[in-house]
Amino acid sequence: MAKLSLMFEEKLVKEVPVGNQPVGIGRSPDNDLPVDNLAVSNYHARVYFEAGRLVVEDLDSLNGTFVNDLRVERATLHDGDSIWIGKHHIKVDASGDTPVSSDSVRKASAPRINETMVLDTKQRRDMLQQAAAMGERSQFASGRLKMPTLVVLSGSSDQREYVITNKLTVIGKSKMATVRLKGWFKPQLAAQINQRDDGYYVGPGDKVPSVNGMAISGPLRLNDGDLIEICGLRMNFVFRD
Amino acid sequence: MGLLAWGGRLPGRGVGPLRPAESQRPQLQIASGGVTSVGRVRVNNEDCFRIVEPLNLFVLSDGMGGEAHGEIASALAVETIVKHCMAPASSEDKDATLIFGDMPMAWSEKTRRLSNAVHLANKNIHESAQKNPEQRGMGATVTAVWIDDARLSLAHVGDSRAYLLRSGALQQLTNDHSLVAEQVRRGILTPAEAERSEMQSVLLRALGAHPEIEVDAEEHPLFGRDVLLLCSDGLTRMVTEPEIAGSLQAEPDPNKAAERLVHLANDQGGADNITVVVVRVDMESRGWFSWLRRGAPKKSTANGAAGGN
Repeated sequence: MAKLSLMFEEKLVKEVPVGNQPVGIGRSPDNDLPVDNLAVSNYHARVYFEAGRLVVEDLDSLNGTFVNDLRVERATLHDGDSIWIGKHHIKVDASGDTPVSSDSVRKASAPRINETMVLDTKQRRDMLQQAAAMGERSQFASGRLKMPTLVVLSGSSDQREYVITNKLTVIGKSKMATVRLKGWFKPQLAAQINQRDDGYYVGPGDKVPSVNGMAISGPLRLNDGDLIEICGLRMNFVFRD
Repeated sequence: MGLLAWGGRLPGRGVGPLRPAESQRPQLQIASGGVTSVGRVRVNNEDCFRIVEPLNLFVLSDGMGGEAHGEIASALAVETIVKHCMAPASSEDKDATLIFGDMPMAWSEKTRRLSNAVHLANKNIHESAQKNPEQRGMGATVTAVWIDDARLSLAHVGDSRAYLLRSGALQQLTNDHSLVAEQVRRGILTPAEAERSEMQSVLLRALGAHPEIEVDAEEHPLFGRDVLLLCSDGLTRMVTEPEIAGSLQAEPDPNKAAERLVHLANDQGGADNITVVVVRVDMESRGWFSWLRRGAPKKSTANGAAGGN
């Protein structure tokens, strides 16, 4: 049978077996495994069997439950794991037989529907070729071969043209901005452009940019030829060869 | 990918001892928290994450492969990356640069090392699977972030994600290396169709599948009040982006924000393992008039240590 050993600085405090009932852990004395320390919540965590596996579940404790240094909300326990609660730790001995219910047998052997898989090189090539063939027929794909570019029409910036290569392009006075604004009273971060799977979105920074004369209300997807205005800078967003 | 536009303008910093950003212009304050959950359906947790506070290094990995092998792969990924980033700069580090070939000159030392670390993790997982036939087919995603001096280095493979919440807008900093995301990028599927697709779990890239791998790496500047989120697909398949943005805005404590997101994912089905790491960045303004605005200088209480006292 699985066993939990409550330890404080390598000294054994208490040992409890885990059967069909959950083992409650916490500062309150009515827990199966009471832990007398202010860092421990009254009902801190519990350990129980589910589908043949030993599981620890944090009960919204203030300071958290850790399994081998990892903060967990729910975790499957293995033989030799340590559960850390405040300054105490609980050694997990799961070497014994697990209590078996008919439910647990069924659950454990059920096939996993959404199993993640990686395509091997050939599958990947085939699928991408197929995707590319379909993509050629779509209008969007032709634009994707071109480089998204910001062309400055008027205003003060460090370059006249910027090719967008990053996932996130910052427009502002910051030394690390891609599009660097010049002049007094310009914000460090004026606006930003985020490349997403379906296109490029301009979003606010400390200021709200306008697209084609309208102030945006949130991140807005850019189309070829859109006019962006921010802090006196006017730019065209275009796809270039 | 990811050429730096501001490269060369930054003062060049040598290899130097690794220390959190210290007193170079903006004073960075970083608070972080993370939590993982097996979810409501799965019996194993194949996710793994690590927060290395002294380095401001954050690593999250989602493993795959039968039995317990997904857990082995994700743990190996996290361990390899943390170890490689923590090792003091040495000749061994130069070797790693040689192994993994050219990198854009503009990249900082941290970005290079992080990218190398991900290559190394791929190598370790692949070799382990070659040596142990029962581990065949195991793999892992990884999203790793290293913050230094108002700059974020990011390295990524797979379909875990990094988001940046800034000025109220949630922006995705990573491309999913999944078939459906690639189809959206090619204009074949709309994002809504991708969300309904049965092919969501098919990855084009993952650590461990091949002896060599292409790693996405980028650098971004950070600003005050930025919130960074790393998460496994167990969160993003259950919780919408507006819900994520709302939770991050509503809960200032990074640990509580992470727990809140995990609860949301579990409440909405918890079909997969869920792992969330939240990092809040603040900049102590040290301009000549900042004391006027703020009054007496305050002792900061940032860096929310995850865990008991």
